Amino acid sequence: MSAAGEEEENAADLKIGDEFLKAKCLMNCEVSLILERKYDQLQQIVFEKSLQYVKRFSRYKNPDAVRQVRELLSGYQLAEFELCVLGNLCPETVEEAIAMVPSIKSRGRVHDDEAIEKMLNDMSLIKKFE
Amino acid sequence: MFFHIVLERNMQLHPRHFGRDLREKLVSKLMKDVEGTCSGRHGFVVAITGIENVGKGLIRDGTGFVTFPVKYQCVVFRPFKGEILEAVVTMVNKMGFFAEAGPVQIFVSNHVSFRLLKFHLLLIPDDMEFQSGDMPNYTTSDGSVKIQKDSEVRLKIIGTRVDATEIFCIGTIKDDFLGVISDPGTTS
Repeated sequence: MSAAGEEEENAADLKIGDEFLKAKCLMNCEVSLILERKYDQLQQIVFEKSLQYVKRFSRYKNPDAVRQVRELLSGYQLAEFELCVLGNLCPETVEEAIAMVPSIKSRGRVHDDEAIEKMLNDMSLIKKFE
Repeated sequence: MFFHIVLERNMQLHPRHFGRDLREKLVSKLMKDVEGTCSGRHGFVVAITGIENVGKGLIRDGTGFVTFPVKYQCVVFRPFKGEILEAVVTMVNKMGFFAEAGPVQIFVSNHVSFRLLKFHLLLIPDDMEFQSGDMPNYTTSDGSVKIQKDSEVRLKIIGTRVDATEIFCIGTIKDDFLGVISDPGTTS
C-alpha cells in the first residue's frame, strides 16, 4: 500500500479510502449478531477476540433494536462510517456527538444542533425500550 | 471499525477435489486460508459470511492444478487513523498502557520520547500518574479516575503501523470525551 495513501488517512474527516467509504459498515451490535450465528464454526483467535469485543461493546443487544437504530440513523444523511461510530459510542450530548464524529458538521450537510439532539434522543429511547 | 465487504481471491485446487463437492472444497479451503489473516489494506478478516461467485477455473500449465477466482463476502476489522473507539486495557506499565479492540492492539504512551514512532507527546493526561504494584495503574491525583487492567477506555487512534501479519495502533486518551468509561469491578 502506498505511503501517500496512508498519510492521507483520517477518519475524523472521513478520509478512509474510497473502497471503505462505499463499503457497508457494521455497528458492533450488528457484528455480534453475525458472529454469533457462526459460533459453532472453526475458531481462530481473530474471530474469538472480535466476538468477545463486540459482545462487550454492543450498545443494543436485541436484534429488533439493532435494526431500529440502523433505520433511525439511516434517515440522517450520514455516511456509513459516521452512522456506525454513532451507533457504537451512543454519545449523550450534541457536543459529544460532534467530538466523536467531527465530519458530521462539515460538507455543508443540514445537521443543526437541534437535528442532532433529536437523533440522540431517539437513539436513547430505542435503548430504553429494547 | 467493522465492515462487510466483498473480496476476491484466486484459489488453487488439486484435481483430486474435482467432483460433486468441488465448490464445498473450495469454500472450506478459502475459509482456512483467509479467516484470521490480516493485510494493511483490508485489515483483519474476521469471518467469511458468504460466497458471491466462483469464476471459471483455469488449468495451470504443467501442474494440473486449477485456479478459480472466488468472490466472497466477509466481515473485516480495519482500524483507521482518527477513528474513535472503545477498548479494553490489557497491560499497564510506566511507559503507558496497551488496550485491545477486537483483534487489534493499541498502545497509549506516557513516555516523552517514543522515537520509533516519532511521537514526542504524552498521550495520557498530565494529571494521571503511574502507580506501580500488584495492579499497576494510572490514577488522577484526587483518585477519582483510574486506568488499570480490564478498564474500558474510549480512545482515538492517532497512528497505525502495518507489518505482514498485523496492524498495530497508537492511541490517545487526551482529548474531549475520551478516557475511562468504566472501572473493572464497578457496574457495567
